Amino acid sequence: MLTKYLTGVTTAFSPFNAHSGKIIRSFLALLPPNARSTMAIDVKMFGQSEAQKPAMLTLKFMLEDGKEMQVDVEKMKLTDIEIEVDRHSRMLKRKDELSG
Amino acid sequence: MPPQLRLLPSQLSGKTPYLCTQCRYASLASATTPAPPLHQTVSAVSPVSHYPLTQPPSYKPPEFRKSQLHRQYQSLLRSSPLILLFQHNNLKATEWSGIRRELRNALKKVDEALAKEGKEMAGEGARLQVVQTGILASALNIVEFWDPKYEAEGQGTRPTDPTTNTSAVVENTRPDDATDPAFTHGLSRQAWSMSSQKAKSTPSELTPLLSGPIALLTLPTTSPQHLATALSILAPTKEFPAPKRRVNAAYHEKPVQDGVAKLMLLGARVEGQVMDMAGARWVGGIKGGMEGLRAQLVGMLSGVGASVTSILESAGRNLWVTIEGRRGMLEEEEKGESGEEKGENGEQKVE
Repeated sequence: MLTKYLTGVTTAFSPFNAHSGKIIRSFLALLPPNARSTMAIDVKMFGQSEAQKPAMLTLKFMLEDGKEMQVDVEKMKLTDIEIEVDRHSRMLKRKDELSG
Repeated sequence: MPPQLRLLPSQLSGKTPYLCTQCRYASLASATTPAPPLHQTVSAVSPVSHYPLTQPPSYKPPEFRKSQLHRQYQSLLRSSPLILLFQHNNLKATEWSGIRRELRNALKKVDEALAKEGKEMAGEGARLQVVQTGILASALNIVEFWDPKYEAEGQGTRPTDPTTNTSAVVENTRPDDATDPAFTHGLSRQAWSMSSQKAKSTPSELTPLLSGPIALLTLPTTSPQHLATALSILAPTKEFPAPKRRVNAAYHEKPVQDGVAKLMLLGARVEGQVMDMAGARWVGGIKGGMEGLRAQLVGMLSGVGASVTSILESAGRNLWVTIEGRRGMLEEEEKGESGEEKGENGEQKVE
């Protein structure tokens, strides 16, 4: 997954939810080791009683683009999220290469 | 200069050395078979076992790493009453070593404080380790759902047991066949099939947490003091603040701070009960540890006792009060009647 153009990850979920919790946790595990220094990561976790509360995952991209991507965790799988992030990052990369 | 050995000419000639005839006879005597020990003449010799008692054949080949990890996780889950689950997001080796060092130092301080009070110490046995999630999930199923009932089996029926007599009727088991129902250990086929069936119908509450990269903090006793310290190091919050920079500068080094930011507390398993983050912090927040909890319980129970006695007393006291009141009323009525009569008489007199 291309994470170079990702500047912010905001998420709220319950790890006790077998579907959304699993996807979001796996997504967070995909971020590189230095992710905390290159992007703002805000993780909020609910408890066991709020496992059915709707989970939220918002991704922010580079400032020139400023796109905020709302990920529908209920419908998308981890591979779908990866594909979406890669698609947008490749677009930004092309712009970057043309301008620079 | 080394000492010179003076040899006799007879020693240099290569003759056969002198042999004592008595010694020769003694060496011949040792060749006779000794008599069997007394206990073997009284009871029968136990049947020959093809595998040691502690190493029954496993379903998966025991030389595989995953079989050994499975065994290790089973014993870990059985032996540690307090387990914290963390997700680790790409921690580097320097970050791990920094976190482990800080955790060890902090727990050592708790141990020293407890040792002064003469209480139990458990900080030495605490371990923070990365686990293989899938194998841990399988081991958890075995621990939760597989009860081999070793006691019901009875003593002296297993061929590997040295107390078993040869006359005992022992089921015929092949040592290389792990599918045999006679084997009931954690790596047997029976344990696997039973526990996986039960796990499908009623999955453990911990199941949703067992995905992705997981690290476990295991404590050998349920000690809220140690848990509170571990939480303040690994997942600091307002209730469990991280040590100040003035107190512990090493904790605020970059690798440790980066590592702590990437550890996510997911939940806990406290004496078989699954708890979420808030539950784990609640256990850590028990004041004074287990003894504090016992003191609270004793206080509560004695309070209940006092209230029970006061309630029972109050019933008797109420009865006494009502009877006394009634007696007073009757006496007053008697007095009043006599007074009224007097009054009536007086009124009559006025009229």
